[in-house]
Amino acid sequence: MDRDEEICASVITHTGAEHRRLANKVMEKALGQAGLSFDEISYVIATGYGRIRVPFADRQITELTCHARGVFRSSPDVRLAIDIGGQDAKGLKINGGKLLDFTMSDKCAAGTGRFLEIIADSLDLRLDDLGSLSLKSTNKVSISSTCTVFARQEVVSRISEGVPLEDILAGIHNAIASRVARMVERLKVEPEVVFTGGVAKNIGVVKALEENLGCEVLVPEEPLLSGAIGAALLGKEITLKAIAQGRPIPREERRLEEVTFFQ
Amino acid sequence: MAWFTGIDIGSGTSKGVITKDGKLEVYHMLASGVNYRMVSQKLREELLAKAGLCAEDIARTVTTGHGAGIIPFGNQHVADIQCCAKGINCIFPSVRMVIDVQGQSSQVIQVDKNGQVTNFAVSEACASGSGCFIEVIANVLQLELKDIGPLSLNAKNPVTFTTGCAVFGESEAISRVSEGIPKEDILAGVHKALAGKISTLIDRVGLKEPCAISGGGGLNVGLIKRVEELGIQLLVPPQPQIVNALGAAIMAEEQVT
Repeated sequence: MDRDEEICASVITHTGAEHRRLANKVMEKALGQAGLSFDEISYVIATGYGRIRVPFADRQITELTCHARGVFRSSPDVRLAIDIGGQDAKGLKINGGKLLDFTMSDKCAAGTGRFLEIIADSLDLRLDDLGSLSLKSTNKVSISSTCTVFARQEVVSRISEGVPLEDILAGIHNAIASRVARMVERLKVEPEVVFTGGVAKNIGVVKALEENLGCEVLVPEEPLLSGAIGAALLGKEITLKAIAQGRPIPREERRLEEVTFFQ
Repeated sequence: MAWFTGIDIGSGTSKGVITKDGKLEVYHMLASGVNYRMVSQKLREELLAKAGLCAEDIARTVTTGHGAGIIPFGNQHVADIQCCAKGINCIFPSVRMVIDVQGQSSQVIQVDKNGQVTNFAVSEACASGSGCFIEVIANVLQLELKDIGPLSLNAKNPVTFTTGCAVFGESEAISRVSEGIPKEDILAGVHKALAGKISTLIDRVGLKEPCAISGGGGLNVGLIKRVEELGIQLLVPPQPQIVNALGAAIMAEEQVT
């Protein structure tokens, strides 16, 4: 991101097991895309589960803070942000870009993207196809929202009973949406509601969330990038503040080189 | 001469028994698969054939278990908790508590001297509270279900599963394997996790002794060891999986006489 908050480059990659090596690859790719060298970057903030595994970052900031900031940029009137990722789901109460309260669930796969991955896998479908397929449903079935393993068994039973695939998928999307809706209840749902994370790419879950929350649900152009965009915005603010106060930019010693487990 | 049948369609295994004069005559088991209706009929046919009987010889049939609702025969459907209490009372009349570890849930049941339920607790609709958790981990380690109990006994440092979710547990198991942790330590960890869930169920109703284990979990020496480590001695029936079907048949008999 440049000083005018224009996004110059963005990279999205599957994380895999080796965070440290991956962080470098992502950085190099983004630099290549933007046509910049690493020394031209004023500030680097790492966020997310693997944020401590980014050896070249100047600072680590939690994904909650970064998310709130990133969502606020695309939707200044946001009051509730719902982020559903691969292994957790979060609800963020936001006002004027400030994080007021949050709730999260990371102890159970039901209500996370993992739930959808497992169902897609057992139906031999691509994750990207679930959403559009489910929209054809005319009679969604009821699927357990409390346990992924049992939901998978229910799906197999429904298939063997000849229930149309789209009705099963609609049931799956309703299961995850109703669970997340229950989770965010405490935060008091009010518009605007913004939905981010990988699962926000699934139109079936977006519709099911709207039904369960009883209000419109907005999805940013690239729902996977909200946290990274927020991190870049926070980095810009830290840099500009230091310059305005005539202080040096509070940088860490950076190492843009591959770090291995055996160093 | 009257024979009675108990049919228990579990989420994983279907069990049938024939009793006479309150005693077990014959039992039979099949994998449940996805078509409970079909498996229940096949189970009945094979059970009768094993006993050398025909359908008319059976005075009464009681059905139970996860898939009992859609069995196309049987005189009555009875909840698995009642059948379990009755069944364990037939095998071990002195037992006052039974832990039934099934494929989709675990239950802890207090039993009186007549085989009546006096109190019980059932796990939530969550795979990590049932035998399913162990199956999921056995699967990811590419081990046969029957081998994991004995293997887990060799563990030196049981791993700790952090989330209490079978799906996340699966990922944790994969991570531990890639870190070079021995399989037996992972298996001991999952048995410990399930034993912990069972222990919270016991706390809810209060421990009564003597205590027995039934269901598929009763076949697993690894699980039994981890429950016993919590200070609970367990009696194990010779065929722990057929306890509920046996109880169903005894109930059928009691309803007539």
